[in-house]
Amino acid sequence: MQFLRLTIPLLLTAVAGLIPIIAFMWSTETRWIHATKDRLEVYMVIIAAFALLLGVVNVIQSNVKKIERRQKGWQYGAFLLAGLISMGAVGILSAARIGPFQGIGFLDDGTRTPFQYMAEYIFNPLQAAMFALLAFFMASAAFRAFRARNFEATILLVAAGIVMIGRIPLGETLLGGSPLLGEFTEWLMTWPNGAAQRGIMIGAALGAASLSLRVIVGIERSFLGIERNE
Amino acid sequence: MEWLNRLMSLDRRWIFLFIAIGTALPIIFPIGFGVTTTPPVQSLYDRIEAMDSTSVVLMSYDFGPSTSPENNPMADAVLRHCFAKGVRVIIVALFPIGGVIMADQSLDRVLPDFPDLEYGVDWIHLGYKSGGQASMKQIGEDLHNVFPVDHRTNTPLSEIPLTQEVHAYRDMELVVSVATGIIGEWWANLVNAQFGIPVAVGCTAVSAPKYYAYLLSGQMVGLLGGLKGASEYEQLLMDGYPWMAEVYGRTGLYTAIKGMDAQTIDHSIILVFILIGNIAFFGTRSRRKQG
Repeated sequence: MQFLRLTIPLLLTAVAGLIPIIAFMWSTETRWIHATKDRLEVYMVIIAAFALLLGVVNVIQSNVKKIERRQKGWQYGAFLLAGLISMGAVGILSAARIGPFQGIGFLDDGTRTPFQYMAEYIFNPLQAAMFALLAFFMASAAFRAFRARNFEATILLVAAGIVMIGRIPLGETLLGGSPLLGEFTEWLMTWPNGAAQRGIMIGAALGAASLSLRVIVGIERSFLGIERNE
Repeated sequence: MEWLNRLMSLDRRWIFLFIAIGTALPIIFPIGFGVTTTPPVQSLYDRIEAMDSTSVVLMSYDFGPSTSPENNPMADAVLRHCFAKGVRVIIVALFPIGGVIMADQSLDRVLPDFPDLEYGVDWIHLGYKSGGQASMKQIGEDLHNVFPVDHRTNTPLSEIPLTQEVHAYRDMELVVSVATGIIGEWWANLVNAQFGIPVAVGCTAVSAPKYYAYLLSGQMVGLLGGLKGASEYEQLLMDGYPWMAEVYGRTGLYTAIKGMDAQTIDHSIILVFILIGNIAFFGTRSRRKQG
């Protein structure tokens, strides 16, 4: 049991993790290693498609539980499931071209299929409306949180103020048509911001590399749902 | 003082109301603020401007409806530029939540102005592919393997004139990803780094800061940051191709330049509220110290 539950998955992980690294450093003349890497990448595309399915199953499970237990906001869960099932069902029927559901895009005469209609007139506006709400919450949060409470907060406030004015034509208008504020904003974004972003990215990349190494050599096992000492 | 306390606990619905008015009015009654160009936008424009009809650009629609007000104008502008210049375009979508629809709608808006373009010769739409990074890497090996058929006609790529010539990044001159989230970063740190093809990204304003690191390192050749970047590109297009002024001046067409009016007013409102918040904050603090 231990062999099936632990040894095989760890071996598969190590091999799948090592092959792309070796291929990256190996000469392209060694065809077998590059062919294996290419094959693994094709598998990755297929597995990623299944991950979408996993996401759907997860959403259904968690929302069904929420509705069964009548948890706070269970009505939203029911609404979400209704949307998921109706859109999913129409999508599957359309992909299989059953009955009036002939395809997922446009018909030959240029009219919309039912799936395209739902996507354009239900899904798109709902998604856009969700994101549009952010503008209101950001404005409210800026009013409450952007206070010059200490030195660091003041620097952040001043930099944010400059960038906010510099990224709109108001900056030029305030300076009588001079592009100075816009240029200073670009300088802030390119150099101080660019340098800080590089530091963050290098740190994150080193962290990701070390975590990958831990996974490949079998130290990190939480992705298998088991602890290190098991 | 009572008025300071009232300011400190200002009902947020007042802020919502001002933002709603500040957004709606400039869209209904456009103001037409001026646009100045920044180097990351100019750089992408110049690169496409230097191409010709032998060049191929891969355009990836890596965003969905949620960020479409920011991403749509930049995608449309780059597509218009490529078509106006005669550059051939391969369209893909790697964003699962609406990427293909965004690409379809973008083509619907842009193509009527280019009636002479031929599908499969001047442009092709390959549709969505799951897998993100894996798909990007696979395109570097064999595009036909990742997209066996095209999105519009379900024809094998080996039978379509444009894709008969294009098999991988080595046959393209530029990748332009119009992206939300992390997908734009993958084009820079994975595709540019491993395959050497120049990459440019059009992104939302909120994610623009991180892309400056890639510009600095040379992993990206251009950046359209948010609505501002898109409005700059539209302005460059109208300067370079005067007939585009008629396109962008059409009533009912949403453009980044029109959107910048609303953004300008909203930024100003937010700045005023930040100022009011700080006045109230310092006022109540000094009162507390005195008391």
